This record gives sequence, C-alpha cells and structure tokens, in this order.
Amino acid sequence: MESDLLARYFPVALFAIFTLLFPVGTFFATRILRKDSPGPLKDLTYECGEVPEGEAMIQFHFQYYVFAIIFVVFDVAAIFLLLWALSSSATWGSTVAFASIALFIAIMFIATNYALKKEEVLYI
Amino acid sequence: MTGALIDLFGWSYALASFLLWIGAQLLGLGNWISLQLGAPSPGPLEGMIGFVTGAPLTSLVAIILAINILLLWATAFHLLIVMWIERKMYSRLQDRRGIMLGLGSSEILRNTLGRIPLIGRPFRKASHLGTGFLQTVADGVKLFQKEVITPASADKWMFHAAPVMIAASTLFLFIAIPWSDGFWIMGSRLPNGDVVNPWGVLVILGAFSVAPLSILIAGWASNNKYTLLGGMRAAAQLMSYEIPMVLSIIALVVFAGTLDPFQLVRQQSAPLTFGLGPFGTVQIPWLPNWYIFNPILWIAFVVFFITVIAEAERIPFDIPEAEAELVEGWTTEYSGMRFGIVFGFKWLRAIAGAALIAILFLGGWSGPVFAQVWIPNIASPGNLWPIPILPQEFWFTLKIYAIFVVFVWIGWSVPRVRIDQILNIGWKRLLPLSLLAILLATLARGMGWF
Repeated sequence: MESDLLARYFPVALFAIFTLLFPVGTFFATRILRKDSPGPLKDLTYECGEVPEGEAMIQFHFQYYVFAIIFVVFDVAAIFLLLWALSSSATWGSTVAFASIALFIAIMFIATNYALKKEEVLYI
Repeated sequence: MTGALIDLFGWSYALASFLLWIGAQLLGLGNWISLQLGAPSPGPLEGMIGFVTGAPLTSLVAIILAINILLLWATAFHLLIVMWIERKMYSRLQDRRGIMLGLGSSEILRNTLGRIPLIGRPFRKASHLGTGFLQTVADGVKLFQKEVITPASADKWMFHAAPVMIAASTLFLFIAIPWSDGFWIMGSRLPNGDVVNPWGVLVILGAFSVAPLSILIAGWASNNKYTLLGGMRAAAQLMSYEIPMVLSIIALVVFAGTLDPFQLVRQQSAPLTFGLGPFGTVQIPWLPNWYIFNPILWIAFVVFFITVIAEAERIPFDIPEAEAELVEGWTTEYSGMRFGIVFGFKWLRAIAGAALIAILFLGGWSGPVFAQVWIPNIASPGNLWPIPILPQEFWFTLKIYAIFVVFVWIGWSVPRVRIDQILNIGWKRLLPLSLLAILLATLARGMGWF
C-alpha cells in the first residue's frame, strides 16, 4: 500500500518541485540577459512621480470584518458539506439525513442574513 | 478504443528509454575504449551501464519528461494562443483589428527569407497584414531584458518570494487537470483501463486558493499604497467568491458522487438520462449527459461560472488590479520578468478555470471520435496503433477556448464592480443560489428525480 501511494504521488511531488523551480529559474536566467543600474531615485516607491508620502505598511482599516467572520464559518461548513455529499450516496432515501442537513443549511442561511443586515447598520 | 491521442506516460517512457539507450551506448563505447587501453575486464563503466538502463532511472527520467511536456503544453502552447485570442477578440469588440504584426514586419526577414521563391511567401506579406501571433513572444523577450527594480522601502524577501508563490501555485493547477484519458500526470490506471484520481478537483481548488494569499503578501511587501489596496481587495474578493464556488461544486457532487475528474467525464459521456421518480426514466440519445443540461445543476453552473471569472481575476472582478484606479494594482512595484510572470500567468489561471468548468459541467474531453486511422506501431512491431481523427485533446481544447471566448466577451462588455458590490454579489446573490442548488439537488436525489 505504501509503495503504491509512493508510486502514485511521486510524480506529484516532483511536479511541485518543478513548479517551484520554474519561476526561480526564470528569474535567475534574466540576470544573464539584463543589466541593473539601481539609483536612489529609481528605487523610490512609485507614487505617480511624486516623492512618496508617509508609510504604506499601516494598520489598514479592514472594513469587511463581518464578511471575514462569516467566511470562516462557511469555510469549515463547506468541508463538512463536501464530506457529507461525497459519503452519503447510500442515504439519499433517508429523510433524517435530508432533514438534518436542510436544518443545518437553514440555520446558517438565516444567521448569515442576520449578520449581513447587522453589518449594514453597524459597518465595523 | 479510448479516443485519446496522447498517452503521456507511455510516450515519455519510450522517449526516456531511447535517451537512456543512447547514453548506455556512449558508456559502452567508453567501456570498450578503456578495455582496449588495458583496463581489467569487465571494464570500469560496466556497472554504470546497468544502472542507466535499469528500471528506476528510466521511470524517473520518464516522469521528468512527462512533467516538462505538460508544463510546455500549458505554458508555451495554450498560454500563447489564449493571450492572442484575448487580444484579437477585445480589439474586435472595440471595432479595430488588434495586433497585426506579421513575419513580413521584420525587414531582415523580408529581405532574406522573403526572397526565396515558394517558401518565402509568409515573409513577403506587408507588415499590416499579419496575424500578430508572435507579438506575445516579442513582449516576453522584451520583458526578459528589462531591469528589475526593488523598491528601497520594500520587504525584500517577501517582495521576491510572492511572484514565485503565485507562479508555482498557478503551474501546480495543471497537475490535476487531465487533458484526455491518456494525457495526465496525477492519477493511476486501474486494471480495467479506467483512470482514477479521487481528489483531483479538490487539488485544483486548493491550488487556486494559494494565489490570493500571495497577492496579499505582494501587496503588503511592496510598501506602496496602491499595492496595499490591491492586496486587501484580493483578500476581500477571495472571501466573497470562494464559498459559493465550493458550495456549487457540492451541489454537483450530490449528483455525481465523486470529485474524480476522470469519473466525472465518464459519467458525462453517456447519453442524457433523466430519472422521473415514479414515472421511470427518460433518455435523449442525441444529447450527452452533461451536468449543465440537468434542470437543477445549471443553477450551480451559473454560480460556478461567475466565481471562476472572479477566481481568474478577469474584468468584472479584476478589482485587485483595477488599472484605472490603482495604477497597476498589486503589481505596481514589479518590473521585468517578475511583472511578466505574475501578469502572464493570469491567463494560465483562466485556462485552468475554463478547464475546470469544462470538466465539471460540459463533459470535459468527451466528444464524438468519428474515425480512427490505424498506423503501424513503432514501439511494438506487428501491432496497429489507432490515431483518432478528432481526439479527446481536440474536444477539450475546443471547449476551453470556447469558454475563454465567453470570458473575454463578458470581460470587455461589462464595467468593473466595486469592492462592496462584489461582496454583495457573493454573499447576497451567489450564496443563496448555491445553497438553493444544494437543497434542490438533495431533494431531487432523495426522490429519485433527474
């Protein structure tokens, strides 16, 4: 079994290494063909030709905080739903399986709508 | 009869055996020379010849060749064609002809190769009558020579690591995208000839979701206001489309019961069949069983199509780049080949997205294989080798390009959305639609419909 897994995923691991080598190799290859001449003016941060004003690494005000929280909830729920959809081909006729998943989706949907309504008012 | 033209592992194994056979012959020659010079029998290189022609090294070389063939096929072939299609097509939508440089535009070529009778014909064409296909190559060559500027205030390590992450994750998408029954890397062949790769679609989705993180890193590390805004927008955009995308795939999985691209395509190559609950089944023999024809799954298809456009950062949803507002978005500070790679690989992501749409909803590489030509097989003499006239690779490529043309068509016809608009589209339109698709699919599946 282990050797079977190895045989199956060895090309994948090799492919991952090649995908990493491709950009790195390209960037090193350009060194041969190009000529860098850095200067203090050239290395300035680009702000449409003006001298850059202040820092850009600031504490950014991320306005979509509520969306981010719901995103985390749904991200986890999506994995559960995916597993359920993959594994439950035997339980299609079962009312319990359908009812529980419908209840789960309904709770998530109502809660999301409530949070989004709240977000319009609060706007953190 | 498979209908696949390319048997990637078979071909690369034959090529690797041939290359290593040449190497073994050279080693044998060296061995023979050293024997003539008085080395003790069986010669110093005898063990090396056995290693070179052995099975482990042949397999390794074959896998490396297969990987390189696949990477070249995706980047050197499809990427160039797709970029050319986009440039030509949006020019047509804007009532102009787009890039027209041809081989005759080069004075040197016109005066040398163009003078040759018969062969020189394409080089004699006037410069404004070409197809412009090599324009993208010229852009690439230009970018290769461009200086790389690292901003003094940037976070150097992260600034240079982000393009590598983006390029690597974009190329990694193609590991799990098969181009036909024979042209694949991730998977394994069962004894009955079917290929399986149980988690293929999941691998593609996982590789897709690395890029927004790298965009955020690039935007932050550049230490520029435009790039910071672009990176933050990429994060917000990820939050809005990722969930509907996965949920619409779940609606598909309820019907298909698998995430295996090979099995999905096998299911879709049968004739269209609907279950009608207690009334039995209806079969439409002249239509394939594509999931887009399913009365419920087309909802999932619409959701998935829109999210793939957002995933590929194409125009209605290209807010992280937004060249009208943010100069060049998160790529503002990149120059030279770093810019070339992060900019050009966007089309590679579009190809991968179109391929995913084709596999999930449009039957993948299945299509009518009208006729096969039988030619003698070089590898095993005495056997005939079927060459399909319209191979699976042709159908898959055709579907990908057709979907890509729709991408371009949508992209150059609608205005760019705002960041709060994409969040509203994602959470207030696409999410309920995909949840509806899941519920309807579960209900229909439980009752035996469709």
